[in-house]
Amino acid sequence: MSEGFDFYRWRPVIFGAVIVGAILICAIFAPLIAPYSPYDLDYMVMLQGPSATHWLGTDEIGRDILSRIIYGARISMQVAFIAAGIGLIFGTVIGVTAAYFGGITDMILMRFMELLFSFPAILLAVVLMASLGTSVLNAMIAIGIVFIPGFSRLARAATEVVLREQYVESARAIGMSHARILFREITPNIVAPLLVEAAIAFSYAILLESALSFLGLGAQPPEPTWGNMLNTGRGFMAQSAIMSIAPGMAIFLTVIGFNLIGDGLRDALDPHMKD
Amino acid sequence: MARLVLTRLGAFLLTLFAASAVLFLAINVIPGSAARSALGIDATPQAIARFEATRGLDRPLVVQYIDWLGQTLQGDLGTSFQSAVPVGPELLLRLPVTLELAFLAFLIANLIAFPLGTIAAARHRRGADRVFSTLASFLGAMPNFWLATLLVMVFSIKLRWLPPGGFIPFSEDSVQNLKLMIMPALSLGLVSSALLLRIMRASMLEVLSRDYIRTAKAKGASEVLTIKRHGLRNAAIPYFNVAAVELGFLFGSVVVIEDIFQLPGIGSLVLVGIINRDYPVLLAAALAITVFVLLANLAVDLCVALLDPRRSKGSQA
Repeated sequence: MSEGFDFYRWRPVIFGAVIVGAILICAIFAPLIAPYSPYDLDYMVMLQGPSATHWLGTDEIGRDILSRIIYGARISMQVAFIAAGIGLIFGTVIGVTAAYFGGITDMILMRFMELLFSFPAILLAVVLMASLGTSVLNAMIAIGIVFIPGFSRLARAATEVVLREQYVESARAIGMSHARILFREITPNIVAPLLVEAAIAFSYAILLESALSFLGLGAQPPEPTWGNMLNTGRGFMAQSAIMSIAPGMAIFLTVIGFNLIGDGLRDALDPHMKD
Repeated sequence: MARLVLTRLGAFLLTLFAASAVLFLAINVIPGSAARSALGIDATPQAIARFEATRGLDRPLVVQYIDWLGQTLQGDLGTSFQSAVPVGPELLLRLPVTLELAFLAFLIANLIAFPLGTIAAARHRRGADRVFSTLASFLGAMPNFWLATLLVMVFSIKLRWLPPGGFIPFSEDSVQNLKLMIMPALSLGLVSSALLLRIMRASMLEVLSRDYIRTAKAKGASEVLTIKRHGLRNAAIPYFNVAAVELGFLFGSVVVIEDIFQLPGIGSLVLVGIINRDYPVLLAAALAITVFVLLANLAVDLCVALLDPRRSKGSQA
């Protein structure tokens, strides 16, 4: 970084951060930004197209679509952050433990992770939702569990590299406890690749959450989520195209934003990508 | 080669066994939930106890699992809580729908990704590369159910070219069958092509930077010939590995897509199982999808082993 900030290299990350930042602001300040309440019905203005009073039109019971999308950002972002957080924390603990202790611990933990990995993510999430019950919290847990194997693999690989470093050997030699070595010496040195993975997990979590609520397994109406708005829109495709276009666009833009950050970070931090 | 097939087959069976246990536990993780959901929230404790006793749900989970596994191995997948119909025949009836959908979607994904990924790599950092790479990032960010909705809006509602949903077996009316299948297959295939295109491009770029490619070019071989002779075979190995993962992802996504297009496949059976809280149905359908995923992985593993030039020279394995 001594040669100064290389805008070209960081351009995708910056673009992504602008998109995600805008959506985060919507999520946090939804009551201040949204022009209407996301719940208030108005039977005088049902199924209207975009207009000056309702920028993205109104839904089948006259609720403002823009306001519902802005509020929908809250659930999507919450689920994405907490699910990725669950995956990150549990995945890291499992991966680091497996690599550090090796042997039979490693084998059992990683075999189990491989097993979870062999299920299609959406199937695993759907099955977990079925047994946990439909709620936002359970969606976070189900999606979080889906992410654990990916993070654990990455954490294990990164830890194996760190374990060969001299400072870990010296820490062992001076008799540091396992816990201290794990938290003080290893974890700080494997954070970078895990955070890149987390950015990609966010975008995947947005997709999974919207799929779950599209299927009616996420947050329940009248709570607005992009997924359940799309599901409702399906019933009114002939009367109102915007009901099916706008929430999908919100998902699409958010996913693009997180992908730009994740892929951009990976490329920018990868020494092989320097031209 | 025979040893390779046997070890992979053994690993497949072990994983399948373990996967069935995970699914069984995941579905039955909350004790008593099956009874409560089948009988309603205001069911009396006596009614719940009776429901559980008649279905053996009051026994320890391990016992239930072993019992279920034994029956499944004999081909009996249990009966639906809801309709008391055996699940196995229902599953067989729905199998062709899901297989056709996944096959068509996978075909579409590969027909897009393989050539476009190769061209993008050959035209690295030039026009075609930028266009295809951007296309891939856009497609990859689309939820497949949104793409499905957009397709229906354009081709069924606006243009009235295609029916918005339903199913007719290929054997009955092949034209109508394909008309009904094309939008579901496109919704899955286009989204899946995104990742595959990126992988094809990346692995072809990697191969094109190798020494033997430079040698081939130095010897005067044309670019097309070099890519055909040396590039495709070597780049195909990482590509097929990811394709297996993507095929697994496709089989998972049928849950959503079959629901949208009212296709009576195994994916929509998963949803039926969930909505009715019909655990034998859910378990059987989820297990069937898992079997497909594992089979896809097995097939790709074997194909990759056959393709690998280092293996085909009569060496070990």
